[in-house]
Amino acid sequence: MILLIIILGVAALIFFIYFNRFVILENRIGNSLSQIDVQLKRRADLIPNLIETVKGYAKHEKEAIKAVTDARKALVAAKGIEKKVKADEKLEKALKTIFAIAEGYPDLKANQNFLELQRELSATEDKIAYARQYYNDSILVFNNLCKTFPGAFFAKLYGKKPKEYLKIAETEKKPVKVKF
Amino acid sequence: MKKGRISFHDQILRNKLKSFFLMLGIFVVIVLLGYVISNAFAPEYFFTIMIFAIIFSLAYILISYHNSDKIALASVGAKKASRSEHKQYYDVVEGLTIASGMPMPKLYIMPLQQINAFASGRNPENSVICVSEGALKKLDKNELEGVVAHELSHIGNYDIRYMTLVTVMVGMVAIISQVFLRSLWFRRGGGRGKEIFILLGIILAILAPIFVYLVQMTISRKREFVADASAVKFTRYPPGLIKALEKIKEENYPEKRVNKALAPLFFANPFSFRKLSSTHPPIEKRIKVLKRM
Repeated sequence: MILLIIILGVAALIFFIYFNRFVILENRIGNSLSQIDVQLKRRADLIPNLIETVKGYAKHEKEAIKAVTDARKALVAAKGIEKKVKADEKLEKALKTIFAIAEGYPDLKANQNFLELQRELSATEDKIAYARQYYNDSILVFNNLCKTFPGAFFAKLYGKKPKEYLKIAETEKKPVKVKF
Repeated sequence: MKKGRISFHDQILRNKLKSFFLMLGIFVVIVLLGYVISNAFAPEYFFTIMIFAIIFSLAYILISYHNSDKIALASVGAKKASRSEHKQYYDVVEGLTIASGMPMPKLYIMPLQQINAFASGRNPENSVICVSEGALKKLDKNELEGVVAHELSHIGNYDIRYMTLVTVMVGMVAIISQVFLRSLWFRRGGGRGKEIFILLGIILAILAPIFVYLVQMTISRKREFVADASAVKFTRYPPGLIKALEKIKEENYPEKRVNKALAPLFFANPFSFRKLSSTHPPIEKRIKVLKRM
């Protein structure tokens, strides 16, 4: 009788543990997703300042400036993480053009404000990359649990399905070609 | 690599268990010392001394458990890193805490010219990372990232709790046994029966440093490899850590001012790189392993 109770108790405990593990891992995924969001927003907030500074020194580069402003608008308006990340990639490209142009304006390049913004923008870009990496890592752990035994059994029981990874854009995968 | 932090669960559990047994061991050692000392010197105060020993050891363990990071920081003369002055340092650590999903540690800088770093604290929520001035000066961003990621993995694996406890407690045992040995010279003539306890005391005092050495050996070199591996998992960029290690190998000058007991805490052994690196695997070997990743 006591043995039966112990066995039932242990079985119940295992059910609880697996339930909690799924919940914890899902929370972690949600949390890392919002981390990407936070960093994207931070990045978008930095852009207007940058544009103002650049305009002060390089007024004629209208095209490049417009590209950045547009990309920022698209990022702010984007819904859903996939679209946001894609918009951010476009913004990153536009920013690279701006920073390349800045090389031709020594005054702008020496501007303390500009340098600070440049540093900050590249730091947030790093953080976005890390947040995406952590998001995919979290999904990997979750999916491993969903697909391996005995996790797979409990996943079915609790109705948990493996999740999609955040895909990296095609352009990022290609090796960069350097031309002289 | 595949299972992420979950696969480090064993390591974390082992570190927590070891920390617990270490604290228990220290308690037993101090109480035992109290027992022997009271019997050797003043049997009439046996109970007073025992009570004192128990209270003292508990207080000592609690204080060092909660303040081990501060003790370690103070002993190298570390200062808090200011956010406005060391932006890159903060940026790098913030990025890596995002990559690893860990809370932000407090950042410190120690006035050492060699490239080095250590992490301390009792858990990830109460942790510090301390980097030498030399490291901030000589390492570029990717290299610094590698070093910081290595320290972050020590924090995540609870290596810090165990290593810092060992450092702090072991120092204490050594001091107590020294005091006891020296006090023997000033002992007044004792009665019969005390001799056996004095002999026991001497044996304990001699054994204590050996015990200390054995505990230090349990800080296996393996955990350095584990920390290197998870550092790469965070940065996804082995060359950063490899280059940092190569720079350390090149500069290769031992630091005289660092307390020897602190060695296991550091990123690289602060004293010598080839001879006695009992606390760290040789740098060449760490580089070789990293290059295979």
